[in-house]
Amino acid sequence: MKLAKSAHLLAVALALSFTVVGCKKGLDKTTGIPGRGPGSIVDSNPNPIRDLPPSNPVPPFNPNGNNTDTTSSNPPFNPNKDETGGIAAAKGDFTGWIENRDEFAALTVYFDFDKSNVKPGEVSKLEEVAQKMKSSFQGKALRIEGHCDERGTEEYNRALGDRRALSIRETLVNLGLNPEMLPTITFGEEKPADPGHNDTAFSKNRRGELILLSPPGSN
Amino acid sequence: MNKLQFFCTFAAVALFFTAVAAQAQSATDEKLTIIRTKDALGFLKPVPVNVSGFTGEADATLKADLLFMGVQHVPLDQAQYLVTGSVAGRVEGRLTDKPTKAIKLNKAYNGGTTRQQIHTFADDIAKALTGLPGIALSKMAFKAEKGVGRSEIYIADYDGYGAQAVTSDNTIVASPTWRGRDMLVYTSYKLGNPNIFSHHLTSGARAAVARHPGGNYSGVVSPDGSRVAMILSKGGSPDLYVANIDGSGLKQLTKTRESESSPCWSPDGKTICYGSRERGPTLLFTISASGGAPRHLATTGAPSPTEPDWSPDGKWIAFTSQTRTFQICIVQANDGRGGTAIPLVEGEDPSWAPNSRTLLFCRGRDHAKQLSLLDVPTKQVKTLNRILESNSQPSWAK
Repeated sequence: MKLAKSAHLLAVALALSFTVVGCKKGLDKTTGIPGRGPGSIVDSNPNPIRDLPPSNPVPPFNPNGNNTDTTSSNPPFNPNKDETGGIAAAKGDFTGWIENRDEFAALTVYFDFDKSNVKPGEVSKLEEVAQKMKSSFQGKALRIEGHCDERGTEEYNRALGDRRALSIRETLVNLGLNPEMLPTITFGEEKPADPGHNDTAFSKNRRGELILLSPPGSN
Repeated sequence: MNKLQFFCTFAAVALFFTAVAAQAQSATDEKLTIIRTKDALGFLKPVPVNVSGFTGEADATLKADLLFMGVQHVPLDQAQYLVTGSVAGRVEGRLTDKPTKAIKLNKAYNGGTTRQQIHTFADDIAKALTGLPGIALSKMAFKAEKGVGRSEIYIADYDGYGAQAVTSDNTIVASPTWRGRDMLVYTSYKLGNPNIFSHHLTSGARAAVARHPGGNYSGVVSPDGSRVAMILSKGGSPDLYVANIDGSGLKQLTKTRESESSPCWSPDGKTICYGSRERGPTLLFTISASGGAPRHLATTGAPSPTEPDWSPDGKWIAFTSQTRTFQICIVQANDGRGGTAIPLVEGEDPSWAPNSRTLLFCRGRDHAKQLSLLDVPTKQVKTLNRILESNSQPSWAK
């Protein structure tokens, strides 16, 4: 049995060596091509990234608590932005919170081409949002989604959409909302509201959408 | 049992002889002098060769491979070298100096597919004639969209053949870059936020590189594979950071109110080039990978530069300029000073080949883009086959 196995192995090795060397027919060199068998890529599903420990541990989020930064020895969170950076991103994990995309759909904020500042004409929308959040949606969060039109390269737009979402967030913080309840996300140019390739479509796509988030189990 | 013993002995002896045969292959005459002339930008002028003896896909593949390595098929009377050969079960090929009839290369290729044999022959010719590393067997990664807001990472041969999906996240997956030849680093929205992951291609194992609050994107691996430069907005604005490949040792390099975007590494791993709106309009900057003051990299004549990619030989930075359309440009790195940009063709997101001559880029309308190859000195372009609906963000394995 052992011998049969080794014979089998040798046969395989022999076949391989012929594949690599081939036959000489008066040629100076033969070059073996390393094979690239199908399936050299293992699908990632056997290792779902959900199961991986997060590289940056996030403390459990308490929507009713005092959400100061407790993850580092940084000074206490200061909602007034510093001169070069901004207000640190919301640290809570809002996975599983219930999305309501309709509540503020009419208050989507629009931007000028290649700009990330909230235009004066758009501020009243955010004042209305801030008012509603304070009066009707205590304990709820608001996700701000930053989007761009296609006139910009992909990763540039991912950063621009990020900057737009953060600008809206800053305005809302200045209107009195808790920054820890205002997570942001950028979609760059990935999710246009209007699939057209004209100025009308572009102006609709440069936007910040506001999604009301309710804690799991709430109504 | 006897039969088996006999077979074993036979096999062992045969194995021994094939090994000897492999060692006994004599070297080709390498004494010929190759005269290489350069153009005004310092790129090698295409070496004129005449290709004959091949037909169909093999012929087209060989000529395209050679074109993107600075070896151009021309009519017989204009050729300096002759490329002859055949595909009869296997690829056999010869490279001959036309005036002297001296044989420069004479090989047969076994194993793999006919395409792989042709690619190997093309690499051998290019190396012999240009002295540059071959690229015909190299790989690339790219983003393939299968619908709005749904994209996956694919890898393929450099010419777009043999594409295979790497991810199946059913969300936005973007911005792949290579770490060596067996790992990719990319952005996936799989967990909700855009996060940066490393992905080992043979095991499928994934690990988080950056999962901070806010955005984590545009990750790119240092040439030695040890670090990742990326854009994070955890501080409240998209800034440039570096970390070790496992996410440890995070260091913030820029702190601006405006956004930074799409970093790349210098080939020596000491400097990072990136786009920033720090001064209003988008400009390119360089900064030491260990921190320090940013320095403006001039791209004179090319407005709104983004998506820089530093050539492996360190001489050039390719980038996208934006006016009414996107334009692929190159500018001399010039020790971080830049200079006057050279516009090449319409397109975006260039990625250098290992030979510092060829670029992969994409062009077309959003959500219907296609990848293309570009021979920088001659501006010749070849559009690659599209996978799914839209292909962008090519990254050439170095």
